[in-house]
Amino acid sequence: MARSIFWISTVLCLAFLALPLLLVLPLAFNTSSFLTYPMEGFTFAWFGEVFGQPSWTKAIWNSVKVAAGAMALAVLIGGLAATGVTLTGRVLQMVLSALFVSPVVVPSIVVAVAFAYAFGRAGLSGSYASLVLAHAILGAPLVFLSVLTSLRGLDPDLDRAAASMGASRLHRFRHVTLPLAAPGFLAGALFAFITSFDEVVVALFLAAPESTTLPIALFSGLRDRLQPTIVVVALLLSLVSLLFLLAMGQMQKRGAAASRN
Amino acid sequence: MSFIEIQSVNKHYGAVQALYDVSLSIAKGEFVTLLGPSGSGKTTLLKILAGFDPVTSGTIRMAGRDITSVPPERRNFGLVFQGYALFPHMTVADNIAYPLKVRRRPRGEIAEQVRAMLDLVQLGKFANRKPQELSGGQQQRVALARALVFRPDLLLLDEPMSALDKKLRFDLQEELRDIHRRLGTTFINVTHDQEEAMHMSDSIAVMNHGQIEQFGPAFTLYRQPANRFVAGFVGKSNLLEGRIAQGRFQAGDIVLSLPGAAAEGRVALMLRPEDVELAQAPVEGGKAALPAEVVSATYTGDRAIYTAAVGPEARFLVYGSARTGLIPEGSRVHLAFDPQDCLLLR
Repeated sequence: MARSIFWISTVLCLAFLALPLLLVLPLAFNTSSFLTYPMEGFTFAWFGEVFGQPSWTKAIWNSVKVAAGAMALAVLIGGLAATGVTLTGRVLQMVLSALFVSPVVVPSIVVAVAFAYAFGRAGLSGSYASLVLAHAILGAPLVFLSVLTSLRGLDPDLDRAAASMGASRLHRFRHVTLPLAAPGFLAGALFAFITSFDEVVVALFLAAPESTTLPIALFSGLRDRLQPTIVVVALLLSLVSLLFLLAMGQMQKRGAAASRN
Repeated sequence: MSFIEIQSVNKHYGAVQALYDVSLSIAKGEFVTLLGPSGSGKTTLLKILAGFDPVTSGTIRMAGRDITSVPPERRNFGLVFQGYALFPHMTVADNIAYPLKVRRRPRGEIAEQVRAMLDLVQLGKFANRKPQELSGGQQQRVALARALVFRPDLLLLDEPMSALDKKLRFDLQEELRDIHRRLGTTFINVTHDQEEAMHMSDSIAVMNHGQIEQFGPAFTLYRQPANRFVAGFVGKSNLLEGRIAQGRFQAGDIVLSLPGAAAEGRVALMLRPEDVELAQAPVEGGKAALPAEVVSATYTGDRAIYTAAVGPEARFLVYGSARTGLIPEGSRVHLAFDPQDCLLLR
């Protein structure tokens, strides 16, 4: 009984999540310029096209820049918020946590409109800064949650022990808390990076032609011309996300091993 | 001249009061144990001494200086935690070096002190291991070395042996006592294990319900307990509830003439199990004797442990010699003891 439930859920899961991807991805290597089966031949030409076209390479480069900036800012904001929250009382901790997580809960279209309006007012619309800032705000709650989880997993006696040995609060944070919570910071950073790298809605509202990110380029590519280049880009995006997820899994495993004692 | 002076310390957690007017003075170089059951306030008192918890009222002085509101990092007290609290991302040597690095001592001096400390706790070979690769007893010794390497004014130990097995505990107690003698640092240990307390300490403060019931050396606590709680918590004892009237103690059918008993009214008579003898023949003069029946007899190798019934309710625990075998259960005997060994507790 339990076995059959396991197999049914596994098969359904794969069918819904993985099958559409697996069906589309081979078309990146199709010689035909139409997105149709059966495949006519095998080629890497579309990869060459993507890396040769300035519109794609620019978008890739923009995405990397925005994601890196958003990640750095999100780690700073989310990490500080989580560290601060652990030092407060129980009630305040609940209120502050809810506030810090709220950007995730609000529908992204609402956030996007708010950002577009606010940045427009501030004269930042279309700039890298606006994208980095907006994505950092979306990524910070993820960093916050991940850092908070790893800080809560720390034995509070470690901090007390360091205090009894004469270490100031800053010294304790730098040499005891931070190294032990590092897996949480790293996981949060990866989350923030992927979130920004994949983000469409807010970017759609904020990006100018010269600051277009990869998901936007993909989106407009879909509207203009259905070509295997789009599948190539989608494949690349999936690969980046997959790599990051694998890295995160590794880190969490190591984090768990380190905090077990 | 006392070194640590705890004066009328009260501690409230919300509506709950954890410490009631606790006062204690500890001499320099003394090994003091706070002994009590869980919830007695001993750990609260230790946290207050360490500076992790503020007092609600009262003061703590060290060498005459008021340290009540000094934060833990400026107290210069060593601490050994129940779960050791070793830094898992540092090697054993780095753990021990941490307090010296905080104090910005020169590198050469740090290396030298760490080596001396590792030798003291016999862990020289393990300097480059991570704490989680060591056994419980070894981790315990690293924690001790780390808490002592910076020559603290006071070492606080929070149930340091509770996670170890019995044999290891005994060895570590010996070792700790030895280290205390060699260094001369003032130690304050917290435990619920009265054997551990008696094994290591110069003085023991017995705590219950947030108060200190009695403070004194092990001998005084055992032979002259101040009240029923101390008598029951420190060692085994027989407590017989009764009344004193005209120099005689009376509990149900049992009547004993106690020449020294001046007080009147309700009391408990305390008698240690080793002060009672099971006599199969009538006893000679000078000793009191109560007719009894052996209810249970247990052989533990070094001695025989008997439970003897006196009348329908009173049960006496008696330690006897087991060299010639046990007195069988159901035997009619006499409980013989010197009335001088009886202690009357209010």
